[in-house]
Amino acid sequence: MELRTRSQLSYADLVVDDPREFRVHGSVYTDPQVFEEEMRRLFERAWVYVGHESELPAPGDYKTVLVGRQPLILTRHEDGRIYALYNRCRHRGAVVCREERGHSNFFRCRYHNWVYANNGALIGMAQASGYPEDLDRSRYGLVPVARLDSYRGLLFVSLAQDGPSLEEHLEPVRKYVDYWFGRSPSERIQVILPPHRYEYPGNWKLQAENGFDGYHGNYVHLSWQRVLQLSKESTVEEVQQYRQEGCVRGLRNGHGLLERPGSLNPASSWTARMMHRYPEYAEAMRKRFTDAELMEVSARRNIFVFPNLYLFDTHIRVIVPKAVDRTEVQLYVYALEDVPEAINRSRYRGHERFYGPAGFGAPDDIEVFTEIQTGLQATGDPWNLLNRGQHRERVVDGEAIGYTTDEAPQRSLYRAWRQAMAEP
Amino acid sequence: MLSVEEAQRFLVAEARLLDERRFEEWEQLFTDDAVYWVPMDPDRDPQQTVSIVYDDRRRLHERVYRLTRTPVLDQNPPSRTVRLVGNVEVGPGEGPEEAQVRCNQLIAEMRPGGPGQAGLNNPRWLAARCEYRLRRVDGSWRIALKKVVLLDADQPQYNLSFIP
Repeated sequence: MELRTRSQLSYADLVVDDPREFRVHGSVYTDPQVFEEEMRRLFERAWVYVGHESELPAPGDYKTVLVGRQPLILTRHEDGRIYALYNRCRHRGAVVCREERGHSNFFRCRYHNWVYANNGALIGMAQASGYPEDLDRSRYGLVPVARLDSYRGLLFVSLAQDGPSLEEHLEPVRKYVDYWFGRSPSERIQVILPPHRYEYPGNWKLQAENGFDGYHGNYVHLSWQRVLQLSKESTVEEVQQYRQEGCVRGLRNGHGLLERPGSLNPASSWTARMMHRYPEYAEAMRKRFTDAELMEVSARRNIFVFPNLYLFDTHIRVIVPKAVDRTEVQLYVYALEDVPEAINRSRYRGHERFYGPAGFGAPDDIEVFTEIQTGLQATGDPWNLLNRGQHRERVVDGEAIGYTTDEAPQRSLYRAWRQAMAEP
Repeated sequence: MLSVEEAQRFLVAEARLLDERRFEEWEQLFTDDAVYWVPMDPDRDPQQTVSIVYDDRRRLHERVYRLTRTPVLDQNPPSRTVRLVGNVEVGPGEGPEEAQVRCNQLIAEMRPGGPGQAGLNNPRWLAARCEYRLRRVDGSWRIALKKVVLLDADQPQYNLSFIP
């Protein structure tokens, strides 16, 4: 095998799409220069998830986010629309908002009191007589991002004018996103604040690769399986059997998912169990969906939307790269709308039990991310393997379908990564 | 009524059990209806949102069982902690057998490991305002509520599996 250092390779060469030995170069996780280029070529161009509309229900509500390295404000104006604005005063460049989220009917730069409306329009500044009377204020509003679009309340921005539309970007994963909403009989969710937030000393792609990884569960989460056995919910053998079921799907545009099969049997799916326990929920679900649709809705999927979003059964997960070896992850738990209150409460408790910085599962995953970040400093052979299941992968309608423990979705992720990084 | 000195003694003994990783003994300090709560936002109803920890007695038992009896990764190697308890205040509880106790805690934490290991060998400080509801059961004080409000509760946290 060729052992090559980063300096001998172009960014596109860092992913080798070999039909038998798909591999990625360790520097994609460790090289600060690769990280800078990821921010520039990927995060500051692609459709990046920034929040859900239910986080900003009323005019004046806002939140601030980073997209790539760039500070943005997302806010709802009095016209009812959401705006995504660069958080930078047009005068001398200070941010006009320091808070993480809140409610305000204007944004004011604290340096010289330039004041902007929630749609970005410049309203005025201190001692305006220092500028000509005919100053065209419309030229000096907060700059909106090139593109803001949403799908069913999920908000995405792209800092690039050109490129595929959000609709085109989401097309390969859209039907799975639709099924995900379907556990609410009105197909709506309400984000519950504040999010769980954790940070780890490792690259952002370690989290991206892990959310749909069906291979690690029996080893990294053996401790969790023992807890389930203690509480007499399921034996370790039952959980390990369950982890063999279903499939992974590598989708076009970098998306992918891990899927456990749906079922109308209360013993075999969460949705069917809740329908069995709460007749009013069952009635609402049966009114909305056919049995065939319920089979899809009740399938449990961890859905990755390239490059920074996961949709899980309890939460919306946002990956925020901070440095090549530092990543923040935000878990926004959500309520399913129009379901019995007890269902959502049990979802919150179930989420807490596994996820978050003191959960019984997520800290074990994070521990492994730090182990990888350390191990990658060893470059005797700089390549990581993502070829599991390549020989038994089936491609149907553009989806690469593999066994539940295979790495088809990881390969999709890196194909899209490679394409983004190959562009100048 | 619980005196400040008695409360201080109780809290220091609790901190010692945690620092010495005597988690199963620590668990015995809690009443059957106890809650151990580490909120992200202490002003929100924990039933209506998620917390870093919101354990009832059963979940607390799972937490201790997981730490002591299962092959965890996140506490292998285990955390070393040094806890400092101060600013103890005691107020009346619900009835003569209960007391409200407030204190501040500083927790130094580190996990040791080999050279260059990301996430290990890195001492850090956690600061918290704590509230306890203590109840006298069969002549000794037990914890009915332990609420730990971290200084940076709403900020991203690294591994908190050691029991803050």
